[in-house]
Amino acid sequence: MSDKAAFEKLEALGKNMLGQVRKDKSPTFETPLRSKSNVQFEEGLGYLRLGAKKEERTFLNVGQARTFMQTVSVANKTKKFVKEGLHTSIRGLYYQLKFSLGEDVDESLFEEQTESNVLVEDLEVALGVKREDLHLTTDRKGVVAGPMVVKDNFAGEETTIDCAKQGRSGWMIPSDVDNGMEFVEVEADYVLVVEKDALWQRLNEDRFWKKENCILVTPKGQASRGTRRLLRKLADKKLPIYVMTDCDAWGWYIYWTIKTGSMNLAYLGRDFSIPESRFLGVTMADIEKYDFLKKLTINAKQVDLKRAEEMLGYPWINRHKEWVGELKMVLKTKKKIEQDALQGERLTFVGEYVREKIGKKQWLP
Amino acid sequence: MSDGIFSKFKEYSVAEFFKKNRQMLGFSGKVRSLTTIVHEYVTNSLDACGEAGIYPEIEVWVGADGEDRYRVKVRDNGPGIPKTHIGKALGMMLAGTKFNRYAQQRGQQGIGATGCTMYALITTGKPIRVSSSHEGKKIECEVGIDFKNNKPVITPISEGPAEGGKCGLEIEGVFGGVRHEKSAYGVYEYLRRTAIANPHATIIYNSPEGERFVFPKSVDLMPTKPAEVKPHPLGISAHDLIEKARGAPYQRISAFLQEEFTRVSLNKVKELQEAVPDVDLGKKPSEMSWEEAERLVGAFRKVKWIAPATDSVVPIGAEQVEKSLNSIIGPEYIFVTRRSPKIYRGGIPFMVEAALAYNGKGANGEILRFANRAPLLFDAGGCSITQAVKSIDWKRYGIKNLEEEPLSIFVHFASVHVPYTSAGKQSISDEEEVVDEIKNSVMEAARGLDRHLSGKRRVKEAAGKRAAILRYVGQLSKDMSELGGVGADAAKVKERLLKMVEGRYGAGGAAAEEEEGEAPEGEEGKKGKGRRAGDDAGEGEEEGELS
Repeated sequence: MSDKAAFEKLEALGKNMLGQVRKDKSPTFETPLRSKSNVQFEEGLGYLRLGAKKEERTFLNVGQARTFMQTVSVANKTKKFVKEGLHTSIRGLYYQLKFSLGEDVDESLFEEQTESNVLVEDLEVALGVKREDLHLTTDRKGVVAGPMVVKDNFAGEETTIDCAKQGRSGWMIPSDVDNGMEFVEVEADYVLVVEKDALWQRLNEDRFWKKENCILVTPKGQASRGTRRLLRKLADKKLPIYVMTDCDAWGWYIYWTIKTGSMNLAYLGRDFSIPESRFLGVTMADIEKYDFLKKLTINAKQVDLKRAEEMLGYPWINRHKEWVGELKMVLKTKKKIEQDALQGERLTFVGEYVREKIGKKQWLP
Repeated sequence: MSDGIFSKFKEYSVAEFFKKNRQMLGFSGKVRSLTTIVHEYVTNSLDACGEAGIYPEIEVWVGADGEDRYRVKVRDNGPGIPKTHIGKALGMMLAGTKFNRYAQQRGQQGIGATGCTMYALITTGKPIRVSSSHEGKKIECEVGIDFKNNKPVITPISEGPAEGGKCGLEIEGVFGGVRHEKSAYGVYEYLRRTAIANPHATIIYNSPEGERFVFPKSVDLMPTKPAEVKPHPLGISAHDLIEKARGAPYQRISAFLQEEFTRVSLNKVKELQEAVPDVDLGKKPSEMSWEEAERLVGAFRKVKWIAPATDSVVPIGAEQVEKSLNSIIGPEYIFVTRRSPKIYRGGIPFMVEAALAYNGKGANGEILRFANRAPLLFDAGGCSITQAVKSIDWKRYGIKNLEEEPLSIFVHFASVHVPYTSAGKQSISDEEEVVDEIKNSVMEAARGLDRHLSGKRRVKEAAGKRAAILRYVGQLSKDMSELGGVGADAAKVKERLLKMVEGRYGAGGAAAEEEEGEAPEGEEGKKGKGRRAGDDAGEGEEEGELS
């Protein structure tokens, strides 16, 4: 979204409230309800999103007055950021808004950062903007290597970045890949996402992405907003997205957040989910298939089993019989396995594994 | 009680009997004995003034006179006692004018003042000193008792015209075995409560410590004199019946029943006869045996009666109670019930007047019990009034802990026949209808109090909300104006927002908010609403159960 569009949306919000005040009505802020009861999964879309339930916040309600005032303050402050063309983190925003409400008042506009964080989310969903559009950055996490050239317009300079020429470190995915970013060349056949940085480094050393003509990404655990946006953009360029994680609760969570979004962040909707993505492994079936893996399993923890049971209850997961079988196996064997175990026999096995899986289309949806 | 015991009883001097059984007159315990003495004299004064149509002005002095010895003086502006009656009134047992009268009265057996004389003689050997100004004449004398013969012993002091033609009575005595105490059982408390139940009287108390307390008259209206009424068959015991029959001037029991009781017609006598065919209703009432009386009373319970008239019940009156409590307790809020008389045991009319006085000078959670305008100070635990009050779920009415709230609970029980638990006449027995009515009365008053308290809470809450919102107006006006863009004037926005806040949470705004039902959705709003709704439902259930 352009700065102009974000600016206009924020100003329209203020104009609407001023209009209410002119009519002697309590100024009101309306936003889709972000509680779990309002999270919906639609098969046709393939990602989690918010339903029709709305939440209203109005100034003259004493229980909502403070939050209402804070919401307007956050909106006004980000409007300034956009106008000035400066960026900051949500923590920077918090410090901008942490001041006393008056000399004789023992109360600050914001006391805790958690107060302002949720209001940023409220504004995103209410106005249909991303926090990056409001000039709020998030922590960078995630690294890329592969045949991709990006033009980065930043701080008044334009830099061209070739992701194939980033040596051992790769290109760190910025918090915002939408504004001032241009993907000039993406000549890959597919995208491979590996959960762990260690595995990414292993495959990078093998020049796996060069041999396979793929884009190699690691979110380094849970995918950041920037990483998710990047994957979304690559999927939009019709690149298949393959994901590899540990075969445990945390790994599944990382995959499903990339694929459908999470319940907590359902408000992000399509922009941050990649329903097209595919799960390469590691799977429970792999343990049977590759003999050496049998010795490398770990006992599943309570949290893994509980998570597996929960996942069996989610309609967006249990509609896939492959996942039902996989998760039932977890509950039955009470085992889990890390993706690092693939190097158990020889370090270069990982590449072979990926090639075989993709070649034989052995992925989970 | 059989005929035998009663006739034997007569052989002894009544005075002798009571000398041996003084606790029956309330002379048990040092503190209680002193209160009883004051009670007897003050009650007599109130009654005498009432008979004569005079607004009572009663002054009481209590002074120390040695260890556990006190001098008590009571002076009133009543009609005084004629010379010929002084001995009877103060030196002879069972000589009062109230004995055997079926009308609402303060409840003395006619032995009160004489009992005091007796008590003075027993404990100090000193007679009572009396000064009576009656119809222009003033007589001063000392009164003692000849116990053996139940006869007064009068020692004249002086006789002459009354000063300035005034009337009145002054009694003074020295009593031993008594103690003055500033407690709920003491003289001060007794007089304060007497004043509450008798707002037409001025009562002054001079304590042993030299303090002077004045409870001034707060209403200009004399209490209605209670009418004498015939008893209803359902309100009488076998003992009462045989007592009444003893001296009745009728040839037949049937005539006696029709003449001496209300609602007994010829037809009803026939029904009674059918119920007890072997009791001869044609014989003389005085020949009625104990067993026959018991059977008749049993028959009374089987026949359908028209309820008795309730006009024999004389309440203090809601307005009078309110004025009185305002004058003596001076509370922030009063609720007085206005209920109609009810009937207990199927035949005895009674009426309960209840009032709650909140945030006044009374002790926290005090229960002010009265029967026919007389305060009940003792035996609180065994009294229906206490039990009824304690059985109420006060939390429902916004009272968290009764003992800790600045709340005075006034309950007056008025009836021709008060169901006392014992001869001490300090507590009311747990007749079901009586307990229910007391509870309902107090709950009615409690609902009034609840409305008051929740109104107060609302105003306080609104003030709190107003303050909370007001501190946000400045910042919001600024941000909102900036956010809305050019042309918006923060000062104007602020002005409008302030007006809105005042409209909803300022003085007078609180009520409007409630009426609109525009309850806030936030935490606070929800709590408030929920509590009230729950309360109302609970109350409805309770009422349904009782009615």
